[in-house]
Amino acid sequence: MEKAKKYLIFDAGPLISLTMSGLLPVLEKLKQNFSGEFILTPQVKREVIDKPRTIKKYKLESFMIQNLFDKGILRLSSDFVQNQVLEKETFRILKTLNSSFKAFGKNVELIQTGEASCIAFSQLCKCDSVIVIDERTARLLIEAPENLKEIMEHKLHTKINFDKQNIKPLKDLLFIRSAELIYIAYKKNLIDIKDGKDLLQALLYSLKYKGTAISTEEINEISEIN
Amino acid sequence: MEEVDNILRIFRETREAIHDQDSLRIKKLSDQTVHTATIYQDPDNIIVAVLVYSISKIIEREQYRQMGGWPEFYEVLQKNIDQAISNLEKQDVEAFRLNLGKIRNAVNKISGNLRIYIQDVFIKSGINKAFKLYEHGISSEKTAELLGVSLWDLASYIGQSEVSEAHLNQTMSSKARIKIAKEIFE
Repeated sequence: MEKAKKYLIFDAGPLISLTMSGLLPVLEKLKQNFSGEFILTPQVKREVIDKPRTIKKYKLESFMIQNLFDKGILRLSSDFVQNQVLEKETFRILKTLNSSFKAFGKNVELIQTGEASCIAFSQLCKCDSVIVIDERTARLLIEAPENLKEIMEHKLHTKINFDKQNIKPLKDLLFIRSAELIYIAYKKNLIDIKDGKDLLQALLYSLKYKGTAISTEEINEISEIN
Repeated sequence: MEEVDNILRIFRETREAIHDQDSLRIKKLSDQTVHTATIYQDPDNIIVAVLVYSISKIIEREQYRQMGGWPEFYEVLQKNIDQAISNLEKQDVEAFRLNLGKIRNAVNKISGNLRIYIQDVFIKSGINKAFKLYEHGISSEKTAELLGVSLWDLASYIGQSEVSEAHLNQTMSSKARIKIAKEIFE
């Protein structure tokens, strides 16, 4: 097994929003500026390569992501952590997190194996790692479960109980979105578009409309950060 | 199957609303299935949520009624909703599931363009209900899995919505998250 100094672990959402925004080639340039590895777990690979390969509408996108694999920009987690070990930890994380929120005394299953596998890899790799995740639930679950509780109570009109102890061991996990990746690429002049007024904002809005959980207020704030 | 009484009520009211051609009422009934689908995530509730929403869209589009294949489809729809209610009243869940399947299969038997339109309604209804579950707090990957829809379709749907504007989604300042990104790239 190889060992890298640091890892960016990709969930499916960021690869989807980057692909649909035509920004996938930026990942190649980002990788050249990164002294670590970009990781895909088998569970995430299924969502971004294997499944879309069977859908005419997204077949090309599947090939585009596959191409990043072929070039070694994206690496499979199995190069660094055995699949069997990852699967076991993924199952443990899934079980723990999906039994953290209860409504009417019943566990509400919030996340799926893709997100859980990213968390599991981060736990197993034992070095600097950041999870790149665009959708809000997994991020809220770890960073601010009380916010998720409030959202669910408001939507479901019922009391939600959650077990803080389940989430506590994962509190140190770090998350970014495709939006922050594109910010880095923009600041490092890795975007192959002539820098017009509001280019960064345009890039961020594109990601937002392709599924990245980012608000207009956040886009405005990020556009102002040097 | 969870909450049989609730599903029975929804089907009874849906039948009335179909008779009155009241698509708005059917849409509201479909929303009422989302809470149960979010918590219990059982396939029956999810199928009902998609089916009732699809019916609301089909009834809403008056032009469908002028198209070839409509009378036959409408007959199968009404007949199977009546039977579904009757089967639920008898607590016969297996027969109820067969009725739902027959409505879905009836779509494939429609001739001409109407089949394409109604098939599209069912696909989009699945994405809409997946989005509703996401709105209720379930992750996008989990909802895509539950509804059998493409995560790629769902991502675009989420992107067009206002769901990301909620303040509760922001768990740290923009500066703090950019700092995480900068540090890993150092």
